[in-house]
Amino acid sequence: MSLRLFKVAATALALAALAPSLASAQQFDRPVRIVVPFAPGGTSDILARLIAPKLSEAVGQPVVVENKPGAAGNIGADAVAKAKPDGHTLLLMDIGSLAVAPSLFPDLTYNVENDLAPVGMVMFGPYVLAVNPSVPAKNVAELVAYAKANPGKLAVANSGVGALNHITAVALARDLGIEWKNVPYKGGAAASRAVVSDESNVIINGATATLPFVTNKQLVGIAVTGEERLAALPDVETFKQAKLPLNDAGTWQGLLTTGKTPPDVVAKLNAELNKILALPEIQAKVAEQGGAVRPGTPEAVKAWLTTNIKSWGDIVRAADIKTN
Amino acid sequence: MELFDNLLLGLSTALQLNNLIYCLIGVVIGTAIGVLPGIGPIPTVALLLPFTFGLEPASALIMLAGIFYGAQYGGSTTAILVNVPGETSSVVTCLDGHEMAKQGRAGPALAIAAISSFFAGTVATVVIAVLSLPLAALALRFTAVEYFSLLVLGLFAAVILAHGSVAKSLAMVFLGLLIGTVGIDVNSGIARMTFGVPALADGLDFVPVAMGMFGLAEIIANLERPEVRQVVSQKLRDLIPSRADLKAAFPAMVRGTFIGSALGVLPGGGAALPPFTAYALEKKLAKDPSRFGKGAIEGVAGPEAANNAGAQTSFIPLLTLGIPANALMALMIGALMMQGIQPGPQVMTEQPALVWGVIASMWTGNLMLLIINLPLVGLWVSMLKIPYRLLFPAIVLFCCIGTYGISNSAFNVWLMLGCAVVGYFFIKVGVEPAPLLLGLVLGPQLEENFRRAMQLSDGDPSVFLTRPISAVLLGVVAVMLLAMLSPAVLKTRKEALAE
Repeated sequence: MSLRLFKVAATALALAALAPSLASAQQFDRPVRIVVPFAPGGTSDILARLIAPKLSEAVGQPVVVENKPGAAGNIGADAVAKAKPDGHTLLLMDIGSLAVAPSLFPDLTYNVENDLAPVGMVMFGPYVLAVNPSVPAKNVAELVAYAKANPGKLAVANSGVGALNHITAVALARDLGIEWKNVPYKGGAAASRAVVSDESNVIINGATATLPFVTNKQLVGIAVTGEERLAALPDVETFKQAKLPLNDAGTWQGLLTTGKTPPDVVAKLNAELNKILALPEIQAKVAEQGGAVRPGTPEAVKAWLTTNIKSWGDIVRAADIKTN
Repeated sequence: MELFDNLLLGLSTALQLNNLIYCLIGVVIGTAIGVLPGIGPIPTVALLLPFTFGLEPASALIMLAGIFYGAQYGGSTTAILVNVPGETSSVVTCLDGHEMAKQGRAGPALAIAAISSFFAGTVATVVIAVLSLPLAALALRFTAVEYFSLLVLGLFAAVILAHGSVAKSLAMVFLGLLIGTVGIDVNSGIARMTFGVPALADGLDFVPVAMGMFGLAEIIANLERPEVRQVVSQKLRDLIPSRADLKAAFPAMVRGTFIGSALGVLPGGGAALPPFTAYALEKKLAKDPSRFGKGAIEGVAGPEAANNAGAQTSFIPLLTLGIPANALMALMIGALMMQGIQPGPQVMTEQPALVWGVIASMWTGNLMLLIINLPLVGLWVSMLKIPYRLLFPAIVLFCCIGTYGISNSAFNVWLMLGCAVVGYFFIKVGVEPAPLLLGLVLGPQLEENFRRAMQLSDGDPSVFLTRPISAVLLGVVAVMLLAMLSPAVLKTRKEALAE
């Protein structure tokens, strides 16, 4: 493997020397990196590894997935924000974290809207709101009634302070007039375990992680986010049907590159991404991640970011969620 | 009889020729990365994940599992020969394993490590087959309250673990706890002692700290001594452990296996608890605890058995509940999802051939590892003949590559080099880094679980005594404390230290 990497690096150096920064839409002159700002094995990582070989065929260059975990994704995002703006450094991550970052981290080392250029949305995966069977509630109305009768008793597990599922829980409490404890864990898997073992009682988390426990009756499904009900849980209503806030909360995986990358390069990457997302095999693999592909324009992602930086930021500020 | 059917089903999967080959590939890669300091199973598995796309789910998992437990075998080799713990789990092996090597007994140390690992691997396979469902249920009974009590027990073990002055080892535990608080606090989200450096946001990674303080510090200390080496005997008779060695090591192996099997099941316990606990227990049970740290063979056998058993039983929460016990198991979940299998409690009933195949492959894999490793003992020992001027730069190079690979960040390389200097200072002032490392690993978990338990109980500390599992664990701590403070023990400890 290291020999291959060495060859790749050597080729890259040789090519870089021959063609100094002539990157145009048609010309990718050195290997492309997809930075995943989380540890391997998560949804972003799997998506990047699915897309990489297809993108490599499209641009005629090796595409390498590089995990740069740390600081809630900010280390990897910062690396991409400060890369050469020629579309050779890409960032694949849950852009919900990007939307929350400016309000959560006041001294962020990059500007989400200016230093990163969206390429396109990759997938959306809905959240499932579920409770441990010890909570006497089978649907939203019963859960709200129980929470109102027992203020402060329910504990909602989230995957970290300021994570989108934390913000969703805060928004639910605010809009429904209920009081529950927000209990942070190190990541979604630890939060799921805690609710299955009844250490905490309520979880809002990605469908892939939560569904097996619901179908196995270790958790009770209460509501799902997204436009429609899940095929696997036909009896569980959507946030919208139950008139809950943040019905578009969930995993929004997006592809971005360095800010100020020439628009024609971004357009070329976007076209290739959407071609890849149209492949049935990719769609099947994305469905296994508990979501569906979301091909779209860079502008749509930009608008999405602008909207949510504001609306989620408002919730963060109102609830006084702080990181330092 | 269902168990028999299940094992038979598993064996029929594991013994298919292609699965045997993937198992062999896995354990060979695992041994190799285990031997190379710093290059751990996590980056390796991550790198190999895409290649498992095209494989059958069972073959993919069998290979990835082989890398994991293969690395436990290989990791002890570097720990014993050059005092560099490649993995968290082999820190303890350094303590007595490297001492044995210094005394010219590297061969028996390596052989005992391999035999203990094989023994533990075999028993753990049976444990998984027989007990995975009840153990998984037990693991689910562990909430923040029980974890806290378990971790208190673990930290007490750290003090017992140290040889030398209690004051010094307590100081090192507290230093470990202190640097463990660096990074974003899980409970409040506040960044502590990061000085605005994003690379510190997730705290100090254990691997660079351990490699710097143990391995590189040892190298620096060696440089100021003239190169005197123990004559490395190449006679086969000196490479294999004597009957007396085996007799001394066997009970430790058995105890280590059971400790490892039990602690490995608990999610979040990490790779550090089983070997540290096993070492502390061996030292407690030994007639002459002063031998520990000076090349006691039980100090190699117990922890080696514990870490291998723990590595294997950490598959139980994954296979039965779909819950990862550690970072590597989270990667395994990724591997399952890439294969289109939703990890969760239903996997065991829906994919019995896969689950039992992986379990059965652990036994075939352990057998392969023993066969690969025992003949290699002679080869590894001859590595000690490589002159320092060639060996040391190579170790430093591999350590740098390995620490860089943890999260593709140069920060960890600098951290390791800084810890090397600190570790050299520790050698000079005569304090042991092992308690510090345990504090660093367990401290953050201790705090996280304590505060979570308090948050959930609305600040009522009596939960630690009213929940039965927690009460028993704290009871054990109290007994240990009383025993330690009792005049008889204090006296023997003093005598032991006086030697």
